[in-house]
Amino acid sequence: MKFLIKTLFTLLMAITIIFFALRMTPGDPVERLLGPEAKQEEINKYRTELGLDKTLTLQYVDFVKGVFSLDLGMSFFNKATVVTLLKERMKPTLTLALISIFLSTPIGLFLGTFAAVNQGNMKDYGVRFGSLILLSFPIFSLAPLLVLIFAVKAGVLPVSEWTSLSHMVLPILTLVLPLSSVIIRVMRNKYLEEVNNLWVPVLQAKGLFNKAILVRIIKVCMPTILNVVAIQLSVVMAGTMITETIFDIPGVGSLLFEAIGNRDYPVVQGVIAYSTIVYMVVYFVIDFLNSKLDPRIEQ
Amino acid sequence: MKINKEIKIGGLILVIYFFWAMIWICLNGNNYSPAMNIEKELISPSLNGFLFGADVLGRSLFEVLSVGLVYTFSISFVVSLSACLIGIFIGYLSAMKIKYVSEFMDLFTNIIFIFPSILLAILVMSMSGASVTGLVLCLIFTSWPGYARIARGETLRVMNLGFVESARAIGVSNFRLFYKSILPSILPVISIHFVLGLSGVVISEASLGFLGLGASEYSWGAILAMAKVVLLEAPHVVLVTSVLMTGLIVSLNLFSDGLRDALDPKNQN
Repeated sequence: MKFLIKTLFTLLMAITIIFFALRMTPGDPVERLLGPEAKQEEINKYRTELGLDKTLTLQYVDFVKGVFSLDLGMSFFNKATVVTLLKERMKPTLTLALISIFLSTPIGLFLGTFAAVNQGNMKDYGVRFGSLILLSFPIFSLAPLLVLIFAVKAGVLPVSEWTSLSHMVLPILTLVLPLSSVIIRVMRNKYLEEVNNLWVPVLQAKGLFNKAILVRIIKVCMPTILNVVAIQLSVVMAGTMITETIFDIPGVGSLLFEAIGNRDYPVVQGVIAYSTIVYMVVYFVIDFLNSKLDPRIEQ
Repeated sequence: MKINKEIKIGGLILVIYFFWAMIWICLNGNNYSPAMNIEKELISPSLNGFLFGADVLGRSLFEVLSVGLVYTFSISFVVSLSACLIGIFIGYLSAMKIKYVSEFMDLFTNIIFIFPSILLAILVMSMSGASVTGLVLCLIFTSWPGYARIARGETLRVMNLGFVESARAIGVSNFRLFYKSILPSILPVISIHFVLGLSGVVISEASLGFLGLGASEYSWGAILAMAKVVLLEAPHVVLVTSVLMTGLIVSLNLFSDGLRDALDPKNQN
């Protein structure tokens, strides 16, 4: 219940800010729609049609009512409702987000534990160095390099479309490499923190196998990892604008990017409402999982 | 504090970048623009004049990247420093239980997370025009909540320590308490985040530049966006720019890693 109120309040704040911020910035959607040489009567006709001639308060009230009855209005540019557009564009974004999270979490857990267990020797340094480098590559410089290596030099993978499974490999790789590096580093630090606790030698003294102790330590590290995953997941699900623009993926991120450029108010507002809900829901689920994993955390 | 390997290596690379930027400013001043020579368009790196090759407009890539380096350094320093000051101030107020500050901070942090920084940048930039001031304001706007969160957590921790409690008990004023007792104790942790924040700002500035929202055509992101188009003919532009940018970010990350280990009380025996 408390969660629901908090979500609704954040949602209301987010859409209010975006509503007024959009209308305060220069740039008129009708001008973009009709071009600079449009006649005044035409502009007025379109303004009435799009509902932009009403007072700001009236528009705002209509908009807020719409959001809470799941009707986000029509896009100014594409002849479709914002809800249909979002539904259509959600598929690639969600596929990308879920696949990359489900790939990078186990990789990160495994390599992070592997580095921590081998602390101080060459294997540890190798994993740490590799993850540091991958983490430091900004996405927009990693993506062209991956394209250069796999598509241009080796010629094994296609680029820039969203039609078949092989087209998904490079975008997923672009997301998985930095994501798993973050998880590797968090996992390694957390493991080394936990392994020094007193309960570990106690378990050893009780004669527990090393593997069983390892499993317990990993379980203790899980809430931290889940929090990291949550942040990353909510970011990727809201649409990674840069990855989607580089690889021409028709996702939420590229939808938002086009809509901002066109001053397509309903679409921008819709995407913001969508990402607010995604963000709050992901956090709710993670809180729930955390309280299951760690009984000390109360709901 | 023990100087460890990470600090040494990260620091060394940082110093190299810093001297490069310094020497460049001393030799060419602040408003140098590299000469265009369309005949030399996209030539590969070689030792006779074009150390890193040339870009699409036939400018020496070395000169273009140097101007970009100075630009990146100044932007990230100004942004991180201002965000850090604002963050410490608001985090402290929130830890002191001043009315509504902590609620405001939570809401603001959530909203910053939800709004992609690119959207904010576009909104700010279209209000103020594509200017350095707009870019800096926008980046400060998105990066202060991180500092505020850490400052709040650290202040709350320090408040329970004996010396702060005694200071409060003898009636030290809030301001004196802040800069005599609390600030020195939270500064180590803030400094780790500051170095990490620098690399964050380098990345965000470059990603805005990549999407065409930068304030300078010499932003490393803008250079990469241009280079991406000619990836097939001239891979050296992408390669050199990526390696240089990653080098800077790696050194900052390495340095802050080392700093964290060195300042960790568990490692001091």
